[in-house]
Amino acid sequence: MTDIICPLCGKTNPPDRDECQYCQAPLKTSGFIPSSDQDEISQLFPPSSKPGEEENLTSQTEATSPLEDAIPDWLKQTEANFLEKSEAELEVPTPDNISEQIDSLLNQPFTPASDEKPAIDDEWLASLLAEAGATEPAPVASQEEISDEGAGAAETDITESHIEEPDEEEQQLPAELPQKPDWLTNLEAASPIKLEGGIPPAREPVERAIGVEAAGEEEEGPSQDIPDWISKPGLEVSTPSAKESEQPIAPAELPGWLEAFRPDEEVSPTRPVEDLSAADIVTAGPLVGLRGVISPRSSAIRASKPPTYSIKLRVTDEQQARVEMMKAMLADEDKPRPLPSQPAITSWTIFRLVIAVVLILPIFWMIISRSQQAPAPQPGDFPGMVDFTQQVQLLPNGAPVLLAFDYEVGFSGEMNLAISTVIDQLISKSAYLTLVSTTPSGPALAESLLKNIGSSEEGNPAPYSYYTDLGYIPGGTMGLLGLATSPRSVLPYSLDGNNVWTFAPLNTISSIKDFSAVFVMTNDPDTARAWIEQTGPSLQAEGTPLLIVSSAQAEPLIRPYYEATPKQVQGLVAGLAGGLAYGRTVGSTQQNGVWDALSIGVTISVLIILIGSIASVILIMLASEKKKGS
Amino acid sequence: MLELINQLADPIGAIIGFVLTIMVLSYIIGDNILFRLAISIFIGVASGYAAVLVFYNVLWHQVLVPVIQMATTGSMDNLLTYVIRVVPAVLLGLWMMTKVSPRLARGGTPVLAFLAGVGAATVIAGAVRGTIFPQVGASVNLLDTQSAPPELSNLVGWFINGLVVLVGTVTTLIYFQFGIKRQEEGVPVQRAVVLDYLSTAGQGFIVVTLGVLFAGVYIAALSSLVDRVRFLWDTVIRFF
Repeated sequence: MTDIICPLCGKTNPPDRDECQYCQAPLKTSGFIPSSDQDEISQLFPPSSKPGEEENLTSQTEATSPLEDAIPDWLKQTEANFLEKSEAELEVPTPDNISEQIDSLLNQPFTPASDEKPAIDDEWLASLLAEAGATEPAPVASQEEISDEGAGAAETDITESHIEEPDEEEQQLPAELPQKPDWLTNLEAASPIKLEGGIPPAREPVERAIGVEAAGEEEEGPSQDIPDWISKPGLEVSTPSAKESEQPIAPAELPGWLEAFRPDEEVSPTRPVEDLSAADIVTAGPLVGLRGVISPRSSAIRASKPPTYSIKLRVTDEQQARVEMMKAMLADEDKPRPLPSQPAITSWTIFRLVIAVVLILPIFWMIISRSQQAPAPQPGDFPGMVDFTQQVQLLPNGAPVLLAFDYEVGFSGEMNLAISTVIDQLISKSAYLTLVSTTPSGPALAESLLKNIGSSEEGNPAPYSYYTDLGYIPGGTMGLLGLATSPRSVLPYSLDGNNVWTFAPLNTISSIKDFSAVFVMTNDPDTARAWIEQTGPSLQAEGTPLLIVSSAQAEPLIRPYYEATPKQVQGLVAGLAGGLAYGRTVGSTQQNGVWDALSIGVTISVLIILIGSIASVILIMLASEKKKGS
Repeated sequence: MLELINQLADPIGAIIGFVLTIMVLSYIIGDNILFRLAISIFIGVASGYAAVLVFYNVLWHQVLVPVIQMATTGSMDNLLTYVIRVVPAVLLGLWMMTKVSPRLARGGTPVLAFLAGVGAATVIAGAVRGTIFPQVGASVNLLDTQSAPPELSNLVGWFINGLVVLVGTVTTLIYFQFGIKRQEEGVPVQRAVVLDYLSTAGQGFIVVTLGVLFAGVYIAALSSLVDRVRFLWDTVIRFF
């Protein structure tokens, strides 16, 4: 019969006792039961690694396992040396000695890897592992295989082999038994764990071996070699008593009201099961060598399928109909909606065509016939015309004058007649024309007009060249103010790129008041007002006349400046009628039916407005009477 | 070749003008593609011409030509003037170009504020000196007896004209007077009856003024129509 060693006090107890007779600690659950005096050693150190069986095992492993061949001699000698020392100590086996030895083995202080003797043959061990094709620690596996093969006969001979005398070579090894045996250190160093992460603490190989054994229990069957007490992670942890472990856990009976709350699960409620078979071994840190302690992938955890809940919304038929209606409305938003087709010819189209024909045909006829039936406008009928003519007549020959072409192209038909007459008068006086403009189209209009006027002169087909075009005045109102104070800085070069201010007659011009006259030709009352406001005070100070040729639409707003006292505008010619009147003052009576066309056009327009107004009044009266009658 | 182009430029321009005029007049029958095409051509040509003119007239002649002249002649007489007048303007112009980028648009705000401030000051000063004071003085002196004509016939007309201008000015200003004296609580707020009559008279003057302005605009448009009809006829006579 084997005695039971108390895991707490380490003393031996009879095998029939459940508790330690010294310290009353439970023995069956965690006690250590040695099979013989040397059982504990044989449990810790598998028989295959014991030198006592070296010869027998060598012959066996040569035939069975190639791993044994690869074990170096130094390892075998180290094991034999250790077993010899252990045998000497086990000659008088006492429970105290055994316990102290186990404690010394398990509680060995941690020795840094750098202090340990490095593994000598890592490569050969790695090659062995590669050949075996296993990721498990190779030494353990080989030991198990060997122990399985020779377990039957070796178990009883272990002690004998331990007692065998070592040979001389073994005696040369240091006789001093280290606190941690060298063979164990070498064995640890030769393990794949060391290959990957360094040498673990001395206590680790035992635990790792236990862990591997425990992990492999399910696959390789229950391990009987390692006692339960040594498979515990620490001796200081108290183990449950035998009574507690033997008592079956009775299923709890839930009360009825609590059972009613229990959900009916489609899937059996199982806890997540972690599959450790495919888990990786921790290769670094305090948990080195353990498998599946920290799962590297969440997929390793097979969680149960979560219960499904229905999200179907209960809607009524009315609500469903509204939803369908909203869907239809939203779908219609994206669809292009064709505009209602209109007839090609409507009453308004006919009405517009009738008015156009009524208006254009008489005008066209007057132009074709070059009619001059209508009485020509007289200069006295237009305020400012006489003064304008006088100011032009007072200009000295060759005097520099400033002409501002500030009208749009669309008004050229109305204004060109008056402007042409003015430029003719200036050309007849050989005035030096200085052309400027605050509109981008002004310079082109000025050039075109001068070219046409010069070439149309009888007996002088060459265009008039005594002028300069300074071009566009940038800055709007601020540009006008700059032109009034310092024209040289605002427009230093002409469009030709010449510095005209250095040549006569502009070399005498330092400000706008030095010109003999300023002519502003514009269709915009705001432009005329800007010229009056910005340049008027300077011109009035020197008595330089400001003469304006404007469109008919700007005349009502410019005339107050002419009729003011003192006059801010010294002469005014407005519109087609003003141009014709001004032409009559200078002796040009040619109109080519334009005035008659304008006259009949105005007359027809007045008639259309009157007829339209009368018709509108009649329709309103009829509608009101109809409303009263109804 | 150039001479031939110069000779053909006038008739080609006349033909193009004729076609474009017809395209614009096609608006009589309603909005159509010919009218839109003509308008687009006008806008494009005007914009392109304005861009070329601004570059050629302002940037080239006022910014680049002085630099080229100084570089070629070696004369630095105008350097100080150029640096004082042109360089700040160029820098401000470049600074204002940040308005092109939405991300940097805020950077050009000071330049824009400077331009707006200077422009407003220029306009207000010009309006005060050139319009408000002279026009107020002219209205005040309308019935000045020292400026009255000596002839009796002209004197009546002078007086009536001055009176109409005076009444029209006063009643129009009254029409734009919307202030009402504060009344006791519960009493309906109403402008004085006299002011109501004067305001109505002012409204009449405003209507007449707007009618005159509309007549001027219509006369201007009709004058342009007459000119275009004459152009079409002259072109037809010229080629046929």
